[in-house]
Amino acid sequence: MLWRIDAASDEPLYAQLVAQAHLAAARGQLAPGDRLPTARELADSLDLNVHTVLKAYQQLRDEGLIELRRGRGAVVTARAAADLSPVEQALAVLVRVAREANLSTETLTVLVKEAMSR
Amino acid sequence: MTDRSWRAQARTLVLWSSLTSFALFAAAAAIAWSWRDDLPDPIASHWGTKAGAPDGFGSLSSLILGDTVLVVLLCALFSAIAWFWGVSAISRRMVAASNVWAGGFSASLLLFMVGPQRGLPDATQATLPGWAVAAAILLPLVPAVVAALLVRRDPPSPSTAPVAADAPRIALADGERAVWIRRADGGPGLIVGAIVMIAITLLVVWLRQWALLAVPVLLAAVFVATFAYTVRVDATGLTVRSLIGWPGTHVAADEVERASVTEVHPLRQFGGFGWRVGRGGRVGVVLRSGDGLLVEQSGGRSLVVTVDDAATGAALLNTLADRTHR
Repeated sequence: MLWRIDAASDEPLYAQLVAQAHLAAARGQLAPGDRLPTARELADSLDLNVHTVLKAYQQLRDEGLIELRRGRGAVVTARAAADLSPVEQALAVLVRVAREANLSTETLTVLVKEAMSR
Repeated sequence: MTDRSWRAQARTLVLWSSLTSFALFAAAAAIAWSWRDDLPDPIASHWGTKAGAPDGFGSLSSLILGDTVLVVLLCALFSAIAWFWGVSAISRRMVAASNVWAGGFSASLLLFMVGPQRGLPDATQATLPGWAVAAAILLPLVPAVVAALLVRRDPPSPSTAPVAADAPRIALADGERAVWIRRADGGPGLIVGAIVMIAITLLVVWLRQWALLAVPVLLAAVFVATFAYTVRVDATGLTVRSLIGWPGTHVAADEVERASVTEVHPLRQFGGFGWRVGRGGRVGVVLRSGDGLLVEQSGGRSLVVTVDDAATGAALLNTLADRTHR
């Protein structure tokens, strides 16, 4: 799968990796049983500290997307193939109404974060 | 690298690897010839299913002549690949190893066949033990590997033109870093490998030549090493590496002229599966038929890897190659 890192973004680097893994799983680019690259390989390719990648992998494990097994690396779990299409449909509606209300991306993001932490 | 310089390198390589091969065989033939007074006449020249019972006989000179023809034919075949299709160093490397192995194999086999017949009153008692055949196959791998290592890598040759304008790209912001990593496997490789190994093992068991088990063991190692790869596109370019770390190859981002998706027909384009040299000197890591990632490189070189989602890999490689031209 494709991994990208935007150092200019406000989002922490590890969180960018976490979000992309979730998206890839939702879109079928990561299937249960697939193995993620080793943390070392991903860190070298993206010019990141290996601890950044490890932090992302640990969060993905805590969220149930992957299992970290000694010797086998990071393996996508059976639970990972969650169907995100209802979320994407709701998002399309949210984005439309937010534009109608002249909300900026930043404001909408703050609202979403607030709602998620409730 | 210009077209002329790879041809010059290929010619030099054909010359030294063939001469090495002939020299190895000539030395073995000279040794065998020096034994001629101690040998029965005719000598045993072929064994069927029983190591202790030869089923073919001939004179020493006809055996040497037959083996000479074999070495010359094999070297001519391998050399033709380098001569016409040796544009990539990796292809020339395979040819150098194959040439030297062919000479070494014929030399060892001749010595292992003829040596034990010294002092025999009658060639029907001659034996060809399994370990001798295994050794004749395995020993020449040593000079073959040395020959492969002697072949120089292609020197860095950044492409002078920008990446083809009509090649696919992905949207990547300035300063955004990206990597595409995908596992390449599948195809008939594992099944074919398993069948070949079981067949050879059964043959070895039937012949009761236990030393020959070294051959399926070696084949197993080769199959394990060459039938699953990690394919990676990042700022350094394209890296294809076996899951166990070897073999592998790398195309530097600044040598990419165009990356694209291509339909791979293993038999028609490459004559089979695995590491291949195909038409026009295209190097192929061919594991299955279907879509593959094609990279056209500076100096007329090209590489194909059969990998899923090659479209994303090709687009990212073009995009990252663009950055090297700024």
